[in-house]
Amino acid sequence: MKTKKLFYSLVIVSAVVIAYFFVDGTFMTSSASEDYKADIEHYQSYFKEKFPNIKPQDFANGSYALNKAMYENWVAIEEFPPYEIFIEAGKGMWKKPFANGKKYSDCFPKGPGVDHLYPHWDREQGKVMTLPLAINQCRESNGEKAFGYKKGPIVNLLAYMAYESRGKVRNVVVPDDDPRAMKAYLSGKEFYFKRRGQLNFACAHCHFSNAGRDLRADVLSTAMGQTTGWPVYRAKWNTAGTLHRRYTGCNKQVRAKPFKAQGEEYRNLEYFHTSLSNGLKLNGPSARK
Amino acid sequence: MHNLTARSLKLPYRLLVFSFVLLAMILAGGKQASAADKAQVEKVIAEATAAREKANSIDGEWRDTAKFIKQAKAAMAAGDYKKALSLATKAKHQGELGYAQAAAQKGKILVPSYLQRK
Repeated sequence: MKTKKLFYSLVIVSAVVIAYFFVDGTFMTSSASEDYKADIEHYQSYFKEKFPNIKPQDFANGSYALNKAMYENWVAIEEFPPYEIFIEAGKGMWKKPFANGKKYSDCFPKGPGVDHLYPHWDREQGKVMTLPLAINQCRESNGEKAFGYKKGPIVNLLAYMAYESRGKVRNVVVPDDDPRAMKAYLSGKEFYFKRRGQLNFACAHCHFSNAGRDLRADVLSTAMGQTTGWPVYRAKWNTAGTLHRRYTGCNKQVRAKPFKAQGEEYRNLEYFHTSLSNGLKLNGPSARK
Repeated sequence: MHNLTARSLKLPYRLLVFSFVLLAMILAGGKQASAADKAQVEKVIAEATAAREKANSIDGEWRDTAKFIKQAKAAMAAGDYKKALSLATKAKHQGELGYAQAAAQKGKILVPSYLQRK
């Protein structure tokens, strides 16, 4: 009798638990890690279906992959790349020792070509680690002053490191064994799909549904491939700048107050945003309008 | 004739006195209106500042809200209360709308239907 009661109780409890997960919409047989991988596959499939004639790697060329005339102009610009001087300056910085005699290579023992390893989840610090943040942490730990995060000397070093990383494959990982990593990823995802500013636009409005469409004299790029070529020399800036400088500009364009470059919001955004380019080869630094 | 002259002289004096009284009334009224305008502008600027801070507390502040408040303060300092009131009112509305926009989406990942995983 007791066994029968226990059996029925277990059945009821199980049914309630299963129903809860189904109603909540979060019932998943996969782990968190498999879930983000499914996200990436799903979003990349969206672009592959939307632009069936574009090879996946070509999404790394941004809006130039979507418009032949613009592509031809861009290829011509790349013959004499405007970002070359930044690479050269960065190379000099990489070699120059700090005041304490140490070098960047002491912080980055694998060498300058490590762009493909960022952003990653830093378990010790409990945050998303980006390459600019790692550079500044390296400087500060060696008694040097941190660089600004949008333009200036940090761009030189990033340009050199990006150049040395060309051809390496982007692979953002959200580790399964640290829930904080998935939280950061989801926070970035929330940011990407959140409407903000007076224009009430989310990042996704321009770079998913309207990707490929004209916006005045520009063509809106796809979210996939947007982060492979940083830092970027932008004609509009008349210099090279960082990804977080562009985030700032995007937020201002929809008339929202931007966040701090390399603050938690933009680092989490970068974590999600960069994962959309998983599997693509890096082609930074690059030139844009 | 004499009476007519006296009457005709009295009229300008009466007009003069009336004009002075009228002018004094306008000036006094204007001063009162200015004081009222200033108080009104200060109130709306304070409301706009509070609305901006509330929006910012949930990451919903818009780009130009703080700029409008700053401009409203400058206009008030210059005595242009009409302009100051207009700017402060605009900033207040922006603060309120920015808060409502962010609050409606807080903690939600609003993936559009065409992008949702099946």
